[in-house]
Amino acid sequence: MFKFRSLSMAAVCALLPLSFAALAQGDAPIRIGMPVGLSGANSVVAPSVVQSAQLAVEEINAAGGVLGRKLALEVADDASGAVGAQKAFDALIFQKKVDVLISMETSAARNAGLPIVARGKVPYIYTSFYEGRSCSPWMYVNAWVPEQQVPPIVDHFMRAKNAKTFFLVGSDYSFGRGMLEFTKKYAQGKGATIVGEEYLPMDGSDWTAVISKIRAAKPDALVTSTAGGAPNVTLTKQLRAAGINIPYGNLAVDEGTAKSMGANAQGIYISASYVTGIDSPANKKFLAAMTKKFGADLKTPNDLSVPEYEAVYAYKLAVEKAKGTDPEKVVKALGEVAVDGPRGRIAMTQQRHAPLTMYLAQVQADGSVKVIDSFKDVDAGTQCPAMK
Amino acid sequence: MNLLLDVLTTSAILYIVSAGLLLIFGVMKIVNFAHGAFLTVGAYASLVSARLGLPPVAGFAMALLVGAVVGMAIEWLVVRPLYARPLDAILATWGLAIVLGQLITLAFGREVQFVPSPVDGTFAFAGGEYSAYRLLLVGAAVVLGTVLALLLTRTRIGLVTRAVIMNEQLARGLGIHAGLVRFFTFAAGAGIGSLAGALITPLSSVDPNMGVPWLVNAFMLVMVSGVSMASLLVATLVFGAAQVLLSTFVSPILGGLAIAVLAAVTLRIRPKGFARD
Repeated sequence: MFKFRSLSMAAVCALLPLSFAALAQGDAPIRIGMPVGLSGANSVVAPSVVQSAQLAVEEINAAGGVLGRKLALEVADDASGAVGAQKAFDALIFQKKVDVLISMETSAARNAGLPIVARGKVPYIYTSFYEGRSCSPWMYVNAWVPEQQVPPIVDHFMRAKNAKTFFLVGSDYSFGRGMLEFTKKYAQGKGATIVGEEYLPMDGSDWTAVISKIRAAKPDALVTSTAGGAPNVTLTKQLRAAGINIPYGNLAVDEGTAKSMGANAQGIYISASYVTGIDSPANKKFLAAMTKKFGADLKTPNDLSVPEYEAVYAYKLAVEKAKGTDPEKVVKALGEVAVDGPRGRIAMTQQRHAPLTMYLAQVQADGSVKVIDSFKDVDAGTQCPAMK
Repeated sequence: MNLLLDVLTTSAILYIVSAGLLLIFGVMKIVNFAHGAFLTVGAYASLVSARLGLPPVAGFAMALLVGAVVGMAIEWLVVRPLYARPLDAILATWGLAIVLGQLITLAFGREVQFVPSPVDGTFAFAGGEYSAYRLLLVGAAVVLGTVLALLLTRTRIGLVTRAVIMNEQLARGLGIHAGLVRFFTFAAGAGIGSLAGALITPLSSVDPNMGVPWLVNAFMLVMVSGVSMASLLVATLVFGAAQVLLSTFVSPILGGLAIAVLAAVTLRIRPKGFARD
């Protein structure tokens, strides 16, 4: 008797929330999961990325949301690495049950998260620049790949600085190695010689041995590709402390990190799809909105944070086109929509990647970035041939 | 020449980081696993001082002071009640390290932050140039070692401390207040550890977990040095050289392993390590 009663009570209790859910579907927020490096190497940049996402969500909600539903942001710390990413992705996909993942992360974190994304069948917009050729039926990328970013720097060094020998330094993971492998092939293809190639673990901060090798090799130019954030700062600090002042192209530093490096960053060449100095109405509007929302707490918008803003809008357009949040329909729609953002018109139409306008710039003494040259709508090349 | 300077400066840094740990180990015969947390505390103290706009020397002084005060509190609250159970005391310091790390995270956030270097640029000499700050650290290590040596050999408190290091029961029997010695030693060891943290941050960065890799290396060096400051000097020179040579000629990753592996090998061959007695 007691058992029957408690069983039926249990049944009623189980069904109740389901019925509520069915009723509330129209009002439930669309959850955007954001695994990002709040600690670890990326922690220097992560706050700016979170701010971009927050502004995008606020703007879209103020304009009525997406298909009448509000957006909600769920941020989780992936510790800038594989172990943290597994925890963050698991929590977001299976506990918080997010509808989409939109985030900037290290390649280590992304590679660890992709199998979980495939299991959870959630669309994933990766907003960080990276070494290219990472493909998943669920992922889109709206940031640059080496085919777009490396040529401006190498060409400039060889043409304007007469550099014939290059020394490459990177963090020892897929991004560091992938970027430098492309750089090596590209530079050698143009006739330059690589006189050294050194790597340190992602969280490594003692570049003493690497700097000794650079001194011994006497290269014409230095190209580095460390994890975004802390390694850039420690490497540059130690390079400058050791008196190394050859032309220095940093493939992985963003404007915000460069600013925090102070005087040490002066002279560094960067190649980016976004600089705060982009002279367009969309960028000015974006910067004004960011300044208004965050005031003195604003972290410099940069090449790692602006794609996040545009990705949230891309998701909005995709959901509207797919008339719902069904993952497979949204994934299909993401390849068909175009966002007009601070970086111009971004459409992820090239094998899940996007053609981008690239800017070659140099960091000035006051931390600002001066554009030397720009290249419109650079092709992303062959990234995921299996996904047309 | 640069290689030699790399070896000297790396050894100096290792010495500064390990000195505090050795002091505590020598007197109290426990390994203070919160040493990495003290490094972090000192680093954040210098961060606060930099944010307040104070000169770099103030940052070092603040680190020393804050470390000593925290050390005093910890000795009184955590270590002293566990005096009769040294193994439990060691475990307690490990737990303490976790607590300190989390407190720092709560207060300062998880992200990596930076302290500007007090001295920028290079020092030029006949053979070339070298990082001025690293050279300064060699000086700092020499000063630290000398001060500690003088304190231990030429002062009464040093004499008393050495008595407790040699044989605590006997020292007690002679009327020496071993409890006070332990108290001040822990405070000093913590203070020096914090100072070390403040000294190394201009070279890299500050984050709540920065002390952990240093703890491992310091622990290895202390195990190999026994209780003697002189043998710590030898150990840091030898192992520091090994780390630099391996990093430069083979790979930085193997170089990072050098100290741990060499310590294990040394203790296997000569269980007393570099100590003389």
